[in-house]
Amino acid sequence: MTSTDTGQRRRLSDSRPVITDLMDEATILSVAEEAWISLVGEEEVLVPLPGDLPGDVLSSWVDVVGPWTGSVVLTTGRATAEALSRALLREAAPEVLELEDIEDAFGEIANVVGGSVKAALPGPSALSLPQVGHAPLVRNPGDVCRVDVLWRGEPLTISVQGALPPLPVSH
Amino acid sequence: MRALVIDDSRAMRRIVTSILTDLGYEVRDAGHGGEALEVLNEGWLPDLATIDWNMPVMDGLQFVSAVRSNPAWRRMTMMMVTSESEHTQIVRALAAGAHEYMIKPFTADAFRDKLALLGLLPQEVAL
Repeated sequence: MTSTDTGQRRRLSDSRPVITDLMDEATILSVAEEAWISLVGEEEVLVPLPGDLPGDVLSSWVDVVGPWTGSVVLTTGRATAEALSRALLREAAPEVLELEDIEDAFGEIANVVGGSVKAALPGPSALSLPQVGHAPLVRNPGDVCRVDVLWRGEPLTISVQGALPPLPVSH
Repeated sequence: MRALVIDDSRAMRRIVTSILTDLGYEVRDAGHGGEALEVLNEGWLPDLATIDWNMPVMDGLQFVSAVRSNPAWRRMTMMMVTSESEHTQIVRALAAGAHEYMIKPFTADAFRDKLALLGLLPQEVAL
């Protein structure tokens, strides 16, 4: 039996949402602030101001797979990631933080922020384990919602970015 | 009282362990469900297990199901502590046998309140 391409699938995929249809910067900032207060400390403030990231940056992210598919990516300077890890661990922080400790703690922050972002998205979605390293590439500049903040005066970005390339423009 | 903290993040294990130790718990930890089952199989049975959802090797839901299949482990209270906050996920965890659900991020006070609800605050702390 042969099937006819009705164009239905194409039409459905044409309606694929981009992140800016689903959330705004204020939501991301609010999610991040809540995570910071809980994980990093009650007195810790995120100031919504842009800053120049240093050359040596580290990113942590989780992937969200569902009606919207992409990543929630935190990027900051390596030294700031270390300070964040120390703040997260508080008195449980070892005297010398190994790279593994930093990756683990910074990854957990992405996990918590990513979980809250996922909760704000429509429909059931799956969350990956956190990853740390070089941020995934932005596949579609139109499918990015990014917040620039300062933590203890140091720049940090939170980018919620789609994993799929833009759809071809129909003529 | 005893608690088993199960989370693949060492940082989160340290945070939860610190809260529970301050409350007077004797705490052990595990990096995933499989490691946690090894602890239980040693005969170290906790009053409380805090369980992350997304972990490598054996995730939190698989761990809850494994515990529920062993009558000898029935008296252990299982609390999911996870960033999975969708209603359907919460229902799945409770249906599998978890007793309580705590969404990350949380504060130490919120954690303590959950334990109080479960009747799991050590007596000297609850007073």
